[in-house]
Amino acid sequence: MKARYRQALVALGAAALLAVPLVVSDRYVLKVLTFVGVNSIIVVGLALLFGFAGQVSLGHAAFFGIGAYASAYLAGTLRMPWPASLAGAVAVAALAGWAVAMPSLRLKGHYLAMATLGFNEIMSVVFIEAKAVTGGIDGMGNVPFPSLGALELRTPATLYLLVWGVALLVIAAAANVVRRKPGRAMRALHATEPGAAASGVNVAAVKVQTFALSAALAGLAGALYAHTVGFISPSTFGLDLSILLMASVVLGGRESLAGPLAAMAVFTLLPYAGALVPGVSRVAAETIQDWVPDLVGLTVVVVLIVKSRRGGLTRPSGTTTDAGDVR
Amino acid sequence: MSGADALQFVASGLQNGAIYALMALGFTLVFASTGIINFAQGEFFMLGGMLVAAGVAAGVPLGACVIGAVAMTAAIGCLVERLALRPARSAGGLALVIITIGCSMLIKSGARHLFGPDERAVPPFTAGQPLRVAGALIDPQALWVIGLAVAAAAALTAVYRFTKVGLAMRACSISHDAARIVGIDTARVVMLAFGLAGALGALAGAAVAPVTQTAYDVGARMGLKGFAAALLGGLGDPVGAIVGGFALGLLESGAVAFVSGTYKDAVALVVLLAVLVLRPQGIVGRHLGEKL
Repeated sequence: MKARYRQALVALGAAALLAVPLVVSDRYVLKVLTFVGVNSIIVVGLALLFGFAGQVSLGHAAFFGIGAYASAYLAGTLRMPWPASLAGAVAVAALAGWAVAMPSLRLKGHYLAMATLGFNEIMSVVFIEAKAVTGGIDGMGNVPFPSLGALELRTPATLYLLVWGVALLVIAAAANVVRRKPGRAMRALHATEPGAAASGVNVAAVKVQTFALSAALAGLAGALYAHTVGFISPSTFGLDLSILLMASVVLGGRESLAGPLAAMAVFTLLPYAGALVPGVSRVAAETIQDWVPDLVGLTVVVVLIVKSRRGGLTRPSGTTTDAGDVR
Repeated sequence: MSGADALQFVASGLQNGAIYALMALGFTLVFASTGIINFAQGEFFMLGGMLVAAGVAAGVPLGACVIGAVAMTAAIGCLVERLALRPARSAGGLALVIITIGCSMLIKSGARHLFGPDERAVPPFTAGQPLRVAGALIDPQALWVIGLAVAAAAALTAVYRFTKVGLAMRACSISHDAARIVGIDTARVVMLAFGLAGALGALAGAAVAPVTQTAYDVGARMGLKGFAAALLGGLGDPVGAIVGGFALGLLESGAVAFVSGTYKDAVALVVLLAVLVLRPQGIVGRHLGEKL
């Protein structure tokens, strides 16, 4: 009964999301809500990777960027049809995820965090320096609108529907994955790796596959972003976004999709409070925008302290991490 | 490449290496006493440069600015440990690391509110023309950077080796429980480690600010480079951190000299990934086993 009630609620929420363009006609508001859809796709991938499989990534903005640049290059510079460039972008991002995951198999916890952060920073340099493909520091403009044959999606409402349509499919697919065998394997990995291995989970394969899937989703989000905005530049794909995404998953809680999605939606909408909520003064809106990073940072610190006192976000590792323990 | 060119590259490698060594020492002190990587270390570097720039702009003498910036950042380091990490003592290592990421966001954003988003310049510590050494030009500030780094590293090594505090720090790096049994206040040692890490980071930031300028967002990249240096020398070993820092600086210079300057910033990051993947215990480090 409870499960059916929940299903009905989810279906209602999805229908409401898709009905938004019928009610909202403000182009700007639709654009902001489209950003939330784009970020939802990345967050779902990161929730699978970190919230379920326990693998940290502070490099997801880089995969997002790889997808965006790949699709913009394939469709814009090479004039490939949009569906082909989208598929190409997802493939390139998945490959990048696989390439990062393979050597990182031996890395755990904070070493993996540092490695993925380093990867993000390397990609930031590449996005600026590989001018022939990326257009350098000034970015790439004139990314074509998504089109299928003669049908071109160019109004904010149709772009909104495209992004949210894909996002809802991704969320539904992820919800299915975590309920079934792959999801159990991910959770086992998070609980105890040797234990997972002993119960017949191929630890290395699950890690690499989850990483590649997660990167592919970020790449898909990047491709959709590039074609809906029409302009991309390196500053969008930096460490700040990676950390914001990670914070969403940390605050949203372990083994949850709804939690990280909600946290991310709040973080994404906050800077636009002035445009979305009637009656917010200009000064108040600017102040909110200015203090978003502080709010995110403070929330992360406070929530983790509270969680640690109530028995943990990560698996309790006995006492404080003792340098003596890692020797 | 002529001898003069080679000397020029070595000089700039040593200058950057000195900065990386200070940063690596900061990472190492915290890692040795807690077993975590402090992602806010880069922000300590940023604070050093920004506080000096703000002080100079307010008319405070430069020397006082540098000392003040180092002291203030040391206090902030202690606060990070006391307010954010100690209350979460019982959390796993990864949660603590994410807390340091949260702290770095707060420090960076705080600096933006206080000092604004623009780049800031800092005057050199001593005025003067670059010195000509065998055809290469050496900036006096480079000597300051290297001198201060060597002095700080020597002082720290002396403390670590010959004082009771250093002994307590070494004890904590071996085992917190054993240290507590012999009466060491481990909580205070950890706070001291964070304070020293803050001081070292700020000293690096203050010393190099006249050469490179500074801004509220310079922390992350320098943090990554400092961590790469610490890893190169084997995390947890102060001497290794210093060696790793200079090695990374010279490697970077070599890459610029022999390959190209375009991807200069990526060199340290590639080194970081390579060491992480190939030898997580560092080039000269001990093997870190893993426990179930």
